Amino acid sequence: MTQNPNTYIKPELMACCGAREIRDHDVVIVGTGFPAMSANIAKHTHAPNAILMQESGVVDARPKRPALSVGDPCLNPGAAMAGCLIDVMGMFLQAGWVDVGFLSGSQVDKYGNINTTCIGNYHQPKNRLPGSGGANPIGTMAKKTLIIALHDKKRLAEKVDFITTPGYIDGPDSRQRWGFPENTGPACIITNKAVLRFEKSTGEAYLSSYHPDSSIEEVKSLTPWDLEVADDVHETQPPTDQELKVIREVLDPHRMIRIYEGKGYI
Amino acid sequence: MSKVMTTKDAISTFVHDGDFVYIGGYVCRPPFAAIHEIIRQKKTGLTITRSNAADDFDMMIGAGVVKRFIGTFLSLGVYGLGRCFRRSIEKGIPHKIEIEEYTNVSLPLMLLAGSLGMPFIPVSDMKGSDLLNVKSFMGDNKYKLIDSPFDGKPALLVPALNPDLAIIHVQQADDQGNAQMWGIGGDCKAGANAAKKVIVSCERIVDRDVIGKDPSRTIVPSFKVAAVTEEPFGAHPGYTPGFYDVDFGFGYQYQQASNTVEGFEAFLREWVYDVENRGAYTAKYIHKFGYEAFKKLQAKFDYSYPVSYAF
Repeated sequence: MTQNPNTYIKPELMACCGAREIRDHDVVIVGTGFPAMSANIAKHTHAPNAILMQESGVVDARPKRPALSVGDPCLNPGAAMAGCLIDVMGMFLQAGWVDVGFLSGSQVDKYGNINTTCIGNYHQPKNRLPGSGGANPIGTMAKKTLIIALHDKKRLAEKVDFITTPGYIDGPDSRQRWGFPENTGPACIITNKAVLRFEKSTGEAYLSSYHPDSSIEEVKSLTPWDLEVADDVHETQPPTDQELKVIREVLDPHRMIRIYEGKGYI
Repeated sequence: MSKVMTTKDAISTFVHDGDFVYIGGYVCRPPFAAIHEIIRQKKTGLTITRSNAADDFDMMIGAGVVKRFIGTFLSLGVYGLGRCFRRSIEKGIPHKIEIEEYTNVSLPLMLLAGSLGMPFIPVSDMKGSDLLNVKSFMGDNKYKLIDSPFDGKPALLVPALNPDLAIIHVQQADDQGNAQMWGIGGDCKAGANAAKKVIVSCERIVDRDVIGKDPSRTIVPSFKVAAVTEEPFGAHPGYTPGFYDVDFGFGYQYQQASNTVEGFEAFLREWVYDVENRGAYTAKYIHKFGYEAFKKLQAKFDYSYPVSYAF
């Protein structure tokens, strides 16, 4: 049974799942939408000393409206630092200071590899997507990458069409083989149905928890690979009263997060 | 002698067909006045670069001025995928551009290497990804993967970039081109300094003494600058910190228009081809949307403590 009588929407639950992965004092690279929401929920609840930054060069912004891009004007006034890409992506991320990075993709595979480049053949793509931007280096160098994805057999894949951002590439040890920094890589895939985590010995994602209106069976049926299930698999903890209060009263009084329902996060 | 000139003269003098051009901006300070002028003058065969490209690059690709793009990412932000970018890659409309793809670590560092006069720079990203499996016009010089001479681990080297020209938009500059910027930087400083010469577009031209009151804000010194253009509202529909906000409504109109080739062409006619310069563009904006809409974009003032460099 859910502890919370409030009727929450799925994007709120997903944002809370992300927030719970952040520890106090973590240094977090965020984008917009979910990631920004997750990181801010953490900051307003259990991780008040987390430092949020945007790849464009901003550290510890205090925006007075939700940022709609990582270069949004509202990120400038009040920030601790308005630097440049080389500061955040170079001096902080590449140098190993970033604990958590959020990523999403049009395709995510069982090793946590992410595709944001193209659907179909690279040279004659069916759909050309934006490209890496900061995703590849975040996935390569953040200690913990949190991946947001829609849970269906198109978005999740046995193998992505193009590895824009490496997860565990083709299995265990592959990150070491390429000389990636130790103790980095995807920590979980947060979907609209479940939270998947990664088995270190195989590099594959397994079912850790299913959301309250889903089930092990449903999650398995929507996953294109033979999904392992954790021994301690359980229902995802719904948003707490405190988390919902922060989302609705502080971070998003206009409930902009609802746009994610329209994008299929239901 | 003053380097101040009109954008029209700066673009016709310093942008040549086939040039390699760095164009600054990151939602913050895209040099749109100069970009529209490049499109109006129908330049061709340009190679353009910057990390995280947006509507400005999409528009240049749609307008046919771009041959090659050294990039990391192109989207319209909240408005989704770049329509012209997609049409070019997927359908060859108006032609298929060639792309060399990097990331928001490697590309800024390639520009930094260029600005430092280094031949290449090692980077820690891209390994293990398909970005290493796709090469375009740079061929085998896209990158070199070697065993590090220091620890034997895989080391990825990427080449320095030295564009023929950089075009940036900043808050203020003097008539010699000492350019001052504040707020989100993107890869503007590295990109401008990597280039062989720079066009500085600015919100306002100030006296050399004003530059000297706060010299830490200067990102490019005068001796690298070929031309200075004064273009208030010159980054619209992007923003300039302390001057005006992003125009999300206008961004939406661009997205809607660029959904089709016909819509995009009509948009270019309305806002680029049939407009003489940025002054006319701003007047047109006010005429079409009203002074209130224009006024609403203008920044409020919230000053820092004055800084002093006195001793």
